Amino acid sequence: MKRFSSSALAHGLLWQLIGTLFGAGLITGIRAIMGLELTAKFFFTEPAWVLGGFIGAISFLFGSGVTSDWVKWARGIDTPEHHEEHYSGWEKFVNVSLDHKVIGIQYTIVALALICIGGTFAMIFRTELAASQLQFLTTDLNLFGQNGPQIYNTLMSLHGMIMIVSILLGISGIINYVVPLLLGAQDMAFPRLNAFSFWIAVPAAVLLLSSLVLGGFDTGWTGYPPLSSRAPVGVQMFFMGVFVAGWSSILGSLNVIVTVLRMRAKGMNAMRMPIFVWAAIATSIIAMTATQFIGLAFQLVLFQRLLGMGFFDPAKGGNPVLFQHLFWFYSHPAVYVFILPGLGVISELLPVFVRKPLFGYRWIAMSSLGIALVGFVVWAHHMFTSGMNEYLRVPFMYSTLLVAIPTGVKFFSWVATIWQGKITTPTPMLFVLGGIIVFLLGGLSGPPNATVSTDLHLHDTYFIVGHFHDTIFGGFVFPFFAALYYWFPKATGRRMNETLGKIHFWLMTPSFLIMTFGMMYVGLLGMRRRIVDYDPALGLDTSHLVLTICGFGIAISVAIFLYNFFNSIKNGEKAEGNLWNSRSPEWQVPSPMPMHNYDQPFEVVGEPYDYGLEGSQYVKFSSAPAKSKHK
Amino acid sequence: MSHTQDKSSALGQGVVVFVYLAILSVLEYFVAVAFDATSILIVVAVVKAALVMYYFMHIYKLNEESDGDEHSYAYKTGTNRIGLWLFLLSDGFVFAGLLVMRSNLLGLTRPPLNQLLGLGVTSVLLISSFFMNRGETALAYGDVKAFMRNTMITFILGLGFLLGVVLVEWRLAAHEGLIASFGNPAVGPVGAVFYMMTGMHAFHVLTGLIFLAVVWNNARKGLYTAEKHYPAEAAAVYWHFVDLVWIFFYPALYLIGKAIAI
Repeated sequence: MKRFSSSALAHGLLWQLIGTLFGAGLITGIRAIMGLELTAKFFFTEPAWVLGGFIGAISFLFGSGVTSDWVKWARGIDTPEHHEEHYSGWEKFVNVSLDHKVIGIQYTIVALALICIGGTFAMIFRTELAASQLQFLTTDLNLFGQNGPQIYNTLMSLHGMIMIVSILLGISGIINYVVPLLLGAQDMAFPRLNAFSFWIAVPAAVLLLSSLVLGGFDTGWTGYPPLSSRAPVGVQMFFMGVFVAGWSSILGSLNVIVTVLRMRAKGMNAMRMPIFVWAAIATSIIAMTATQFIGLAFQLVLFQRLLGMGFFDPAKGGNPVLFQHLFWFYSHPAVYVFILPGLGVISELLPVFVRKPLFGYRWIAMSSLGIALVGFVVWAHHMFTSGMNEYLRVPFMYSTLLVAIPTGVKFFSWVATIWQGKITTPTPMLFVLGGIIVFLLGGLSGPPNATVSTDLHLHDTYFIVGHFHDTIFGGFVFPFFAALYYWFPKATGRRMNETLGKIHFWLMTPSFLIMTFGMMYVGLLGMRRRIVDYDPALGLDTSHLVLTICGFGIAISVAIFLYNFFNSIKNGEKAEGNLWNSRSPEWQVPSPMPMHNYDQPFEVVGEPYDYGLEGSQYVKFSSAPAKSKHK
Repeated sequence: MSHTQDKSSALGQGVVVFVYLAILSVLEYFVAVAFDATSILIVVAVVKAALVMYYFMHIYKLNEESDGDEHSYAYKTGTNRIGLWLFLLSDGFVFAGLLVMRSNLLGLTRPPLNQLLGLGVTSVLLISSFFMNRGETALAYGDVKAFMRNTMITFILGLGFLLGVVLVEWRLAAHEGLIASFGNPAVGPVGAVFYMMTGMHAFHVLTGLIFLAVVWNNARKGLYTAEKHYPAEAAAVYWHFVDLVWIFFYPALYLIGKAIAI
């Protein structure tokens, strides 16, 4: 316990609390001088909470010590390029480390924690929806100053944003751990910035969750005004949480791009990079730039609430549709941020398990970039019913449908790769195949939403909910699990239990498919999104009950996974060699990966995915040990 | 570092570029006063931005070959440059978003602002960029004293800009009724847009001033040489970026469209 209380995490959280109280106290003091009200429903007034939340997040960063090297540099004090590792075991992960592998695991653990929290929220409101009428989230309930339906709204909204943040952290986890290994680099280009990008996500998660106890918010994850300009103070914490998490995403992606541009092994030209690196680049381009727009949009609402600036308030001459433009300019490309790394994982692992070259390497690489670039000009398909100018509808319909082309390229390439392959199906491969199937369903249910004539009917129904769960599970969740099963031995030197892994897969996949088909089904029959109750006369009770049961099926399967994951760290079967018989450089050295990655540098001498071609070689390790490059 | 030109011609180039920028700024001002020509203003702003990016921010240095040793200072500087430019690209999206907001909410109208004050603060920022470039050029030739002197002048001018906007311009605007108009649908959100845009820019000026103070102090400690001074270069590039943003914000707030009567 003492070892935890002296960790960077504990210090950071303590300082976040102190900073929050200080900021809130400061505003309260100023209000006292100005003779304004000092307290509100949730103790502090809204401006006090906002400044407190902001100063709290900054205090976390200074308190955890992740900025201490920068402070030293600013004062003209030099620091060693790499720090010595003081910690071992779990302590490594609650303290600041500059090692990209540790940071990758930190990201992954926080992502899994947030998946559990977001999933629990989903289970709560899914249970409420199992039958029509209000079951336990009734109007008599009073929790955190909210009645049952209000709690439902908050949980439903938070489920969305918590899951989004968890996905962003999950992809950062995989990218951070894997990309420098694939490139043959010792670390990311900016190790301190890398640590900063991770640690800033922790106060962001705290801010997001604090909205639950500060009155919640009833806007959905989109936070549209005018709803969000009237919601309780919780919505401000939600805005700040997203804003701070956005910086994690922006700075992390910047680091990835620079790392790929500058730190590749000798001989690794653009067309010999592992395909996952292309996906990481494509996703980083979007995350680094477009994220600023959601940050700006939320910031404007934050100021609108605090200072009465009427950006989005029609009563003050503002334009609520402008918010939607700014918001979706990030939030649609964001779904490509979520799925591109996952599709990259599929392309990366598929050749390993079918023992064949990846079909159409160049096309897959370019299709990732294509999705990223087209993704910038499709945002308004979320707004066909918003009252925006009608002449915008058709161009955005076509640009959206255009996304199907590079995505189709990926599917054809995967099918051609599997064709006549020697397929083996250990757990990671199961999740790869599951991911392909589920993402296909997500892809096929997309065009009806992009087409104006059908979208006008489907908008805001459960059909949309089914569609995007398909895309996110196929594009992120399945490949994420595949990646965890696949690279787990690299990180720990042990493998996860195969039987439990297969139970995880065979429980999750059917549950998930029935759930999303069911969502689309009830959506077509008139079930609306984001509502706590529905009319029994719709006749959807049975369907909703099935949906809820399947939801719990997924939850149980994830619980099995978590048990497997944490149990295998200590008790898993040893797997120190090239477990999957991969050509990739990280598998040519023993697991777990040594501290500074490769003892000997390698050179790229062939194509990355020439599985099954005799005499082909991808990387060649030089026999001379690497020069010691550390102070 | 290889020099393709000697120190005096490098400094001379800064003077020439500054004169061009000054002429363009004056041109811009009179175009706005005399005609209603938004397109000309946009073209002038783009030309000014290109000049600043090339001659002051030295964007071409991104292309500079650095030797293969990943652990040399030169190679790391190349890496740092890419990182900084990507950050500026990302940050640029914030300001692009604000410009989108401005054009959506205000269109071809603008806040009623004091034109001479606007021209004044714009000139102050432009002159500060000139001295910043002078200081950085001097440092590239190893003249730490000149770097410190010019950075100090930049700092003072930058502080002048910040105080001019926050203490003078914001007060005058409030006096004109821009704050009172927050809740007035007849006027529209012009006050909100003005304070948001200048506020976001002023925040960046403030951070730029902090960076300038840090590199000035570290130069005083003798940490920079002609070969090794990337932090000073980075602070200078960031400072020019703040100027670059204002090149677009100035016409967007002061020149384009008709002033709304409050």
